[in-house]
Formats: sequence, C-alpha cells, structure tokens
Amino acid sequence: MEPSTDFNESTTNGSKQSIFQGRVQFGGQAGEFFGIWSVNILLSILTLGIYSAWAKVRTYRYFYSNTRIDGHSFDYLATPIQILKGRILAIIAFIIYSLVVQFLPVIGLLFALGFLFSMPWIINQGLRFNLRMTRHRNVRFAFAGNYGDALVNFVLLPIASVFTFYLLLPYALKRIDQYLHENISYGNKPINVNLKGATYYMAALITIGVAIGGLVIFSIFAGLGGVAINLTSFDTDNFNISTLIIPLLIAALYVAFLTIVRAVYVSIIRNHIFDSSEFEDVASFKSDLKPVEYAVLLFTNALAIIFTLGLAYPWAKIRRARLLAMATEVTIYEGALAIIDTVEEQQSSFAEEAANVFDIDISLT
Amino acid sequence: MSKHYIKGCYYYPNSSQHQQCFAASNKSQIQLVDSQQRNTLLSVLITECQIESPLPGVASELNFAGGGRFVPEDINHRWAFTHTKTGMSERLEKSKPLILASVILIPLLLWFILYRGIPAIAVYSVSLASPATVEAMGNQSLKVIEKVALAPSQLPDETQNNIQQQWQQMLDELNLDSTIFRLSFYQSDYFAANAFALPHGRVIVTDELVTLLKDKPDALRAILLHEIGHVEYQHGIRLAAQATASTIVLAVIFGDLEGITEVVLGSSSSFLQQAFSRDMEREADKYAIEKLIALGYSNNDFADAIQALQNKLDEQAQLDDSWFKYLSTHPSSQERIDFARQYTPQ
Repeated sequence: MEPSTDFNESTTNGSKQSIFQGRVQFGGQAGEFFGIWSVNILLSILTLGIYSAWAKVRTYRYFYSNTRIDGHSFDYLATPIQILKGRILAIIAFIIYSLVVQFLPVIGLLFALGFLFSMPWIINQGLRFNLRMTRHRNVRFAFAGNYGDALVNFVLLPIASVFTFYLLLPYALKRIDQYLHENISYGNKPINVNLKGATYYMAALITIGVAIGGLVIFSIFAGLGGVAINLTSFDTDNFNISTLIIPLLIAALYVAFLTIVRAVYVSIIRNHIFDSSEFEDVASFKSDLKPVEYAVLLFTNALAIIFTLGLAYPWAKIRRARLLAMATEVTIYEGALAIIDTVEEQQSSFAEEAANVFDIDISLT
Repeated sequence: MSKHYIKGCYYYPNSSQHQQCFAASNKSQIQLVDSQQRNTLLSVLITECQIESPLPGVASELNFAGGGRFVPEDINHRWAFTHTKTGMSERLEKSKPLILASVILIPLLLWFILYRGIPAIAVYSVSLASPATVEAMGNQSLKVIEKVALAPSQLPDETQNNIQQQWQQMLDELNLDSTIFRLSFYQSDYFAANAFALPHGRVIVTDELVTLLKDKPDALRAILLHEIGHVEYQHGIRLAAQATASTIVLAVIFGDLEGITEVVLGSSSSFLQQAFSRDMEREADKYAIEKLIALGYSNNDFADAIQALQNKLDEQAQLDDSWFKYLSTHPSSQERIDFARQYTPQ
C-alpha cells in the first residue's frame, strides 16, 4: 500500500508526506444538546422505553458528527431498529438474569459464572458493532479481536492479578488496552499499537501516590466532620442544618478524591495510548491531556450534575468531549487518500446492548 | 435549475477520497459541480437520494444510491425537498416549550413510575408467584445468609422450647398455618440483636435478641408479630420484585446515559429501595400493634421492644437520627415508639 512517489527513499519519516496536522475539533453546543437530550428522555418515557433506541442513535450521531479531523466529521451509522432489536434481546436476558439472582440466589451463582465466560464474546461483539458503525470520510472502522485473546485479557489475567496481590494488575490493564486497540482497522488499514508495560506501572505508582495523599487530606476533613456531628447532636435533639451540611461536604470531598485519582490515571494512559498508535502512512496521533485540568473538569461536572439534579448533564458531557478533542492532535499522511472500505453488511447490536445493560464499560478512552 | 449553490464535500463510494464541490437542486434532480471549472461531477434524481432524520447541529447529508455522499458545509442547511415527517424529531428537539415541559415532566413521570407504577406492578406480580417458587426463594436466601452471617444457636433447649410454645400459641390464636410460619434460632455476630423474616414464612431470631429481651417476653412477642406481618404482606418478594422492576425501568429509560446513571441514579435507586423498605416496616409495625391489641395484649409492648433495641444501639454508638433517618432502612426508633404508644384502634 506504499504510495508510489519519488519521496520513497528513506525508511521512516522521509517516506511520509504529511498533508494535515492539527487538533481534533468538537463543535457540539450545550444548549443545542440540552434540547435533544431532554426531549429524547421525555419521548422515551412516554413510549415506555421504545423511543430510547432512537434517542441513542440521535445522541451518538450528534457527538460523532460534531467531532471533526481536518474538517471531516465522523458518522454514526447504526439504525434505531438495529439498536431496538438488540436492546429487546438484552433486556429479556437481563430480566431472566435478575429474576434468577433475586429469587434463586444459588442458581444465580451458576448464571454469574456462565456470564463470566460469555463476557469476552459480548465484549468482542460490542466492539465489532461499534467500530463498524463508525465512519470517517467514506470508510468504516473494524475490530478483529477473537474469543481466546479476549478471555485471556478480560477474565484470566485480571483474576490472576488478584492472586499476585495486584502486582500483575498494571500489566493486565496494559494487555487489555493493547487488545482493545491493536485489533482496530480503518478500512483496509490495520492500526499499529505499541504500549509499554513500564508506563502502566508508572501510572499505577503515581495514581497510588495521589490516592494516599488524597486519603490523608480526606481523613483529616472526615475526622473534623465526625467531631462536629457529635457536638451538634449533643445539644439539640431536633433538626440542625449543620448535621446535613457536614456529611454533604464529606460526600463532595469523596467525589473530588475519586475524580482526581481517576483523572490522573486516565490522562497518563490516554496520552500513552494515542502517542503509541498509528495507522502507518495514514495517520498518527498525539494526546496531551493534563491530569489537573481533566480532574478539575470531571469534578466540576460531577458537582454541577448533583446540584442541578441532573440538568447539567448535557453541558457536562459537551464540555468533556470538547476538552478531550482539544487534547488530541492528529497528523494525516498521503496514504489517507487511498483507503478502501472493506466492511461487509449485516451486524447485530445485541452484544453491544447486552454490554450496556449489564454494565460492562468498554469505552475507548 | 435554480442558481442557488450549496457548498460542501463529496465523498466517493467506499473510499477515503473526497472533493470539495457545490450542489444545486431543482424539483427532481440534484447536480454536483466542481468548485473551479463548474464541471458536473454527478447528477442524481432526488428520488434516489436518501436523507437521514435531521438533527440539530448536524449537517443534513445526501446519500446517493451507489454509496457516494454529499455533506453540506453549512450544518444548518436543510434540503427543501425533505418530507415534513422526517423533520418531526428535530422540530420537537428545537421547541422551547417542549424542552421546558420535559424539564418539568421528566421528574414527575419518573416519580410516578418508580413510586406508584412499579410498586403496583410488584404487588400484582407477587400474587402470581406460586408457593413453590416462594419456598425455593426463601430456602436459597436462607442458605446464603447461613453461610455468610449465621452460626448455630447457643441458647439452652429450655429457652428455645418456651419461645416455640409461645410462638405456636400465637399462631393458633391468629389462625395461621404452622407449616408455613416457622421459627428458628441462630447466633450471629453480624446481625447482633435482631430478627428477620424470609419470604416463605421462616422467621429467624438471634440469640442476642433473646438474651436482650429475656425479662420482657411481651416485647419479644411484639417483635415476632412484626416479622409475621412481613410474611403476611409478602414484603420480601415485593421488595425483590420492585428491585428488579426499577433496575429494568431505569436501564430502559436511561440505557446509555452512563454519566447520569452513575451519579444520580446510582444513589437514587438505593434511596428508593430504602424508602420502599421503610414503608414496609411501617406496615409491619401496624400489623404487630393491631394483632397485639386483638390478642388482648398492650400496644406498649411493641414500643418497649423498640426502646430496648434502641438502647442497645445507643450503647454501641452515639448516632444522630436526624441525618441517618434518610439513609436507614427503618423509620427512626422514636417515630416507631411514638406510633405504637399513641396507637388507637379504629
């Protein structure tokens, strides 16, 4: 697939003619998305959940179409009927599962075990569907993972890491990310991903350091709060406003703590994944997400959602998408003009919906 | 042909190749022309173009039969020939009155579904559950709890027999089936002084509770009646059915709104559980008090029992009720004691 140009002399950079370099652009507007979001939820409730399939497609289309590289947007291609069918199947499976767990806990344990072994399949199908439904220019993405690799990476390695006092966990996480990304292709062009275990261990150490620091501060505040509760309950039997505010403050601190820890880890790993991935001769990536900036964003998002009783959700989602887009730089090379779409039709969204309903998070950061 | 040209980008079928161009349309045809020389790239019948349902903030692209696509640069451009039907969702999503109505209606509808609809469905669906299912459910729950939190009772046989006799006498007086309502004793560090009922009619009393109330047989009777109340009203299965139904409803409505499920619904669904459970405790309290009076005992027995449990709790930890009331699965003890003491039979 080498472009036959005169520049084809040296091995690496020399042969690549970059035709574009720039940030990913995100054009979504909070006000606009608020309308889509609220009306879609209302319609979903009024149609007893049926419209939620349309709502999902419209939400995805809004975010994909507003994300642009070099002026070309992404497209979300799934149809509401595909989503609806998948969702109905997934919900039937979920109803059976939760009835069994609630009413027959012993058989429920067996079900959970069966679920563990079907999880790799569900994850693969979900990724396959999601990537096939993603298009940029007129070329769709694809995912080529297989059951065996998924079983090793999502089930066996994480379990093994428990028995090594989690010493193996960063390695297991690296393997998961490697698996998730190295099986992606853009049309007929496979991706090259080269993640390093050392970075994952570094990220884990930094995250643990931040967590310990945070815990010390948190416990000082919680201790003070605890003393204050005892004092107030001592002299009043009745309702007292401070008995409400202090637990709320502790809860807010707890959210802050979690978001900071999460932001630190996610930003280190996201930057590493983008920096180590490329579609050879087509595109390379760079991510410079700043942990502090991302933590502040996630924390203010959580606060806004809590204090507006959920109304700030569209604003929070748009803000996050914009920050992530701005932190991502893409370089496009000449090869990008000669990609051919190879994806065949007919895909079921069952597994993806099953993954959603059963709460398996497989987001590609 | 109108002279109105729409600037945009043409994407070749199944390929990453594209070209900047202009589109012009008349009543039956769409023509794409090159940006420089005004050469015609493509000319298609409108009937062979597909347009996806318009979405605010997203360009309305033309999909041609062969797989090519034209995407207008102006995201707000809408094609004159689109059917009014396809634009329906977009018009609703842009309608200020409807957006405002959603903000008000969504919480109201959710409240109605979760607090009225689902409990009603749960009561109905529980009446459909066969006794064999209920029996299996109760036995399996007991097995799990036994493994996790219970140990064989250390109470002397004499104490156990006395209470079993009192239990049997109470069942006879209330005309209840002793093959369904069964009483068992267990030692439990986890539950401490406590009693609970399983859906199939087995009532578990901990050694710690019997010891706590050894001088107050009337108070123990009141607690046993409270547990019988739970079984009579099928609270265990109702709670399970409600938990299942609310999870499903929330999953359907908010299926893919990950953020809000985490932050808002994660907590509200467990608040919901506790609210249901508090209502059920009140129902069982009322049952116990009514039966105490019907059997010729005093409603104060129940208040005494709760008082004894509360005193025990106070010894262990000084907790402030006004905050924890919202987080506990039971109504506050004072509320229950007052309710029992002030109860007047209708």
